[in-house]
Amino acid sequence: MDELIRVEHLTKVYERGEVLALNDISFTVKRGEFLVLIGLSGSGKSTLLRCINRLIEPTSGKILFDGLDVTGASARQLRQLRRRMAMIFQQFNLVKRSSVLTNVLSGRLGYVRPAASAIHRFPKEDIESAIANLERVGIPEQAYKRADELSGGQQQRVGIARALMQTPDLLMADEPVSALDPATAHSVMQYLELMNREDGVTVIASLHFLSLARRYGTRILALKDGEIVFEGLPAEIDKEKFKEIYGEEAEEVEVR
Amino acid sequence: MKRPKKSKFDSRPTIDRLVALRPRVAAFLLDWASWGYIAYGVMYLLNKYWYLRYVNFYGRLTLPTWGWPIVILATLELTLLSHAFAQTIGLSLFGLRLLGPDLRRIPFSQRLKRYGALHAFLLAQPIAPFLRRPIGELLHDGNPTGRMHLVAKVKDDMPPEPPEKVWLTYRGLFLTGLLGLTFWLGWKITTINLGMLVERIGKSGHIWNDLFTPHFTYLTNFVNERGHLYSITYHMMETIFMAFFATVTGAIVAFPLSFLGARNIMGFNKFGWLIYSIMRLLFNVFRSIESILMAVLFAVWVGFGNPFAGAMALFFHTIAALGKLYSEQVEGIDPGPLEAIATTGARRWQVVVYGVIPQIIPSYLAFTLYRWDINIRMATIIALVGGGGIGTLLFYFKNEVGRLEDAWNQVGAIIVSIVVVVWLLDYISARVREKIG
Repeated sequence: MDELIRVEHLTKVYERGEVLALNDISFTVKRGEFLVLIGLSGSGKSTLLRCINRLIEPTSGKILFDGLDVTGASARQLRQLRRRMAMIFQQFNLVKRSSVLTNVLSGRLGYVRPAASAIHRFPKEDIESAIANLERVGIPEQAYKRADELSGGQQQRVGIARALMQTPDLLMADEPVSALDPATAHSVMQYLELMNREDGVTVIASLHFLSLARRYGTRILALKDGEIVFEGLPAEIDKEKFKEIYGEEAEEVEVR
Repeated sequence: MKRPKKSKFDSRPTIDRLVALRPRVAAFLLDWASWGYIAYGVMYLLNKYWYLRYVNFYGRLTLPTWGWPIVILATLELTLLSHAFAQTIGLSLFGLRLLGPDLRRIPFSQRLKRYGALHAFLLAQPIAPFLRRPIGELLHDGNPTGRMHLVAKVKDDMPPEPPEKVWLTYRGLFLTGLLGLTFWLGWKITTINLGMLVERIGKSGHIWNDLFTPHFTYLTNFVNERGHLYSITYHMMETIFMAFFATVTGAIVAFPLSFLGARNIMGFNKFGWLIYSIMRLLFNVFRSIESILMAVLFAVWVGFGNPFAGAMALFFHTIAALGKLYSEQVEGIDPGPLEAIATTGARRWQVVVYGVIPQIIPSYLAFTLYRWDINIRMATIIALVGGGGIGTLLFYFKNEVGRLEDAWNQVGAIIVSIVVVVWLLDYISARVREKIG
């Protein structure tokens, strides 16, 4: 297994408020891993994920994706890199007034001819694969509904289908199940697991519940105040480690 | 090399000091201006009622040459007084609080000292450039912030002010006084006289009578003495199409411009910011020029009474007004989907097409229809300056009063048609907007 992502001395300072969100973080992610980020709210999980595809510009440090420099990439290079790293979000981030199919197809925007996309024209095979991907996440019958007519779990599955359209090497999930109930959370996580196992997509997911992290992660990275406080296998997190990551007063909550 | 002596109290560079001083200076000037306004108002009213001698023949306020410095100094003194003893409106508005160096309430005796210190501070200004140390430090009385720093910028860790009845504070009373004075001045300056309304009702009685018995003689056609064909229907069509043309073309032009005037779209680098600022400036400038003023220009340009002039005027005003409204809509959209689409490797404009436009279409339609309402109403009177439309007929008959027996009845008919058409179109657009929203 070779490495897909190498992060070196990544630092992010938010200028407004002078918050040190990430403090000199280094780690690598191997191809095919299911890496779970854990940590309290504000520990820098979202910032870290967004730095990897430069939705947020890192202050300093270096990120290599499949040996290519992300931090130094030009706008054009960055677009080509972003095609290979998909992302799903806590709030799903679908365009609510567009149809489910359009939302899924927008995953192809980095690949299609730009002139055709300006008038919402997509190649036939893209439309077919969009339907196929909706079938994969189990909601083909919703394709022509407006995105905001769907339930939360269904919306997140549309988000996954959109990510699948990119045929990504890496899938980043920013608290993908925080807005969902426990049962739906598991079904969404299982789709991520499926992508990871069947398609060999490397997954980095930030999760709130340790039980979910233990169940789905092959490796865990814990952040606290912008620094890595734990890196290892899920089984290695015991009571002490837990207190270290989440603070003394924390109690573990299970999601089944 | 001799190093300049470093001040023990404050080593911040002068620019920083000036920047820090800015809200205090602004607060001071604002309070001084309000005292000046009170002085002006009081003198104006004294003039109205008691005809004091320093008022000239035209009712304008004049003062002898020595009077002006006295008024200026007196208001300055009042400002100093209020600044030393009370939380003034200026201080509140610029986020400052009158506090001691220990962030406590200042006792009266210290406020008195502060009153003196403020005088010393102002009096010392002329020699300030020649002093080695800032004046604030010269007035230093044992605390590191110095007496001149007794005004503090409101911060989170400050002790909260105890809740007071706002109308009993200096601020509340002062504000009430200002509002009262303004109302009184407004009443006097606009020469409001309710008695006149009652007194003169008889003189305009026949006009009301004529207006409410409209003559629809020229509903379909009318030839004036110069042989021009006029009719209410024809001019009404002109009006509606003028507004329609201006709204549609204005909206089409404003649509792409609105993205250039939206911070969240253009804020990607300095160049984007420049375009954004220019667009916003243009929107604001053109929006502040009423379309009726633009119509004056276009009426001279393309001919008096030509509806093209009115259409052009409405067109330009529509671009600016819709551009502003549209770009505010763009700024208010949910940024999440934009993030998601950018993640797929889409170009910036693709993010706009797939992420922004679907989100704003409904409100764009609603605003366009709203603008269409405004344009219809504007088009009915734009003829006042030669912009064409139904107003041409309205002002024609209004000017015939005295020469034409039933001029007011004709005017009445036109007003009735305007009301009916405007109400009808308003109603339709309201229904459509309901459907969209």
